[in-house]
Amino acid sequence: MGKDRDAEYRSKVSGYYHQLMEQCQANMDRMDRELPRAREDFGEILKERGVTRRNFLKWTSAMTAALMLPPIFKPMVARAAENFSRLPVVWLHFAECTGCSESFLRTSYPNVDDILLDTISLEYHETLMAAAGYQAEANLEKALKDFPGKFVCVIEGAIPMGLDGKYLTLGPKGKTALELGREVTSKAAATICIGSCSCFGNIQAAKPNPTDAKGIRDALHISTVNIAGCPPSPQNFVGTILHFLMFGGMPPLDSLGRPVWAYGKRIHDYCERRPHYDAGEYVEEWGDDGAKKGWCLYKMGCKGPYTYSNCARIRFNDGMSWPIMAGHGCMGCTEPAFWDTMAPLEKPISEKPIGGWGVTARVDSLGAALTGAAIVGIAAHAGLTAAKGHGQPKKAEPDKESHE
Amino acid sequence: MDTRTAIKEWSLAIRVNHWIMVICIFGLIITGFYIAHPFTVPAGETIDKFFMGYARFVHLIFGVILTFIFLWRVYLAFFSRFHADWKDFLAWTDWKNFWTQIKFYLLVSEKKPEHKFLYGPLQSVAYGGLLAMLVVVVITGVILMGVEYSLGVTGVAYAAVKPIQNMLGGLATVRFIHHIFTWLIILFVVVHIYMAFWYDVVFKEGTISSMVGGRVFRKPHD
Repeated sequence: MGKDRDAEYRSKVSGYYHQLMEQCQANMDRMDRELPRAREDFGEILKERGVTRRNFLKWTSAMTAALMLPPIFKPMVARAAENFSRLPVVWLHFAECTGCSESFLRTSYPNVDDILLDTISLEYHETLMAAAGYQAEANLEKALKDFPGKFVCVIEGAIPMGLDGKYLTLGPKGKTALELGREVTSKAAATICIGSCSCFGNIQAAKPNPTDAKGIRDALHISTVNIAGCPPSPQNFVGTILHFLMFGGMPPLDSLGRPVWAYGKRIHDYCERRPHYDAGEYVEEWGDDGAKKGWCLYKMGCKGPYTYSNCARIRFNDGMSWPIMAGHGCMGCTEPAFWDTMAPLEKPISEKPIGGWGVTARVDSLGAALTGAAIVGIAAHAGLTAAKGHGQPKKAEPDKESHE
Repeated sequence: MDTRTAIKEWSLAIRVNHWIMVICIFGLIITGFYIAHPFTVPAGETIDKFFMGYARFVHLIFGVILTFIFLWRVYLAFFSRFHADWKDFLAWTDWKNFWTQIKFYLLVSEKKPEHKFLYGPLQSVAYGGLLAMLVVVVITGVILMGVEYSLGVTGVAYAAVKPIQNMLGGLATVRFIHHIFTWLIILFVVVHIYMAFWYDVVFKEGTISSMVGGRVFRKPHD
């Protein structure tokens, strides 16, 4: 029974993946024909940067696994990586700190992800381009004209909606972010939002949100791929682009537009400190014995249990470390409105203050105070009831009782 | 000498439901506060310890029982063969009686509220409120459970309530709401226990024992 089922399952799975493989090959052949030619040879670039073939193959395996594909797709991932620099990209910056670009570009030991991002065919990138003023504007217009419906629009930053979008104007013509976003995304093959600003608004959209900043999805009412994080891990962006090159479409998304392969599980589910959580071993204060032993950071306000991301699995900086490994809790940067919902960042959710009308208190303090007040009220009520003989049939001289 | 007759007020189903709910709510409050404010288990090797794991296990078991007990209670409200009491939850619509009852409960007036429904107007609000609080706690609880255990019945239940997770603004807010409603339920429990005893003392109808034996002892004309 069990064996038959196993065989049936295996044949089903392998059938599915072979079909997927055919689809992938057909799409990559099409991409080979349609995409503009590469400016530089990818193999040469890798050699120049000191990435050996062995390292490249290792990276291919890791990326295939991260994309949740079986090993037969490794050659496809390698081929997509070769084609990576052929995909025209327009990179827009709106209300943000450029930290995502910085984190992608400034690495002292570049791995394949970083090299891919270095060679990406940026038709327009406000931070990196040499052109300025009208020349820069011309570059953008050229890209929109040359690759209509072919380029990928990457957006970093939220769109302020207040004052008709006039809180943020860009370029020599003083276009608002709203206008520019509409213009470019309407011609793009796909829109990828990098970082929590463009995904959900991030800190600009945190209360009280004076400029009425919104994520791209909410601002432009288009479907986007949200690579959330502050900043996100480069692999999540590279993997999404590779998926686009391999299958000609965006990967399956969750209800918030994040790719399921990267944001399908919580930090908590794959955290290396999880066994300490279940055991009941917590860091009680920074630098205590528990912290030295690498215990769970739940009581130090780790928001891993509420945060969907693959940080715990792929880590940052070429798998070197990630926030919880470094000894600080997760602050939930891949979740919408995390500045509001996850605050206070170094305290657990149960310590979150509640209130309004100028009064705020911890839920537990408020709850305890209300319960205490109820108990005092109950005692007073009980005393008065007894004193008055409330509800009891009054027989003789009912007044006397109340004097006692 | 007052003559009182025994009147069956609570069916066996309602009584069993009530006491299981009591056990669940107390179990959930205790384990829930540990999960919210855990203390470190200092002694022993990590591999031998599973305190939070057990606390969460007990919490989830009580939570699942409470979910079904809640559904059973709602079922009884509409389809009980003894007395389907859904109409009694609308006792508060009798504004005049409501006012009389408030005055009587605040010890302002000696005029007793009338017995028109199974519940008085205030009780109907309180018990309806408890059921509403249970809806919130059960739904947020199913979300928090389904996030971790996505197979079987839990998976089906989670799929049904998952849209609410994003509507509320993510798991952190779901967890926060779960915590707030715990306190509301604690407040209900405190007041409910007192009021039951108070009613027992003032009306002398055997209110407390009625939830065990099912009968109250009432004067015929009341």
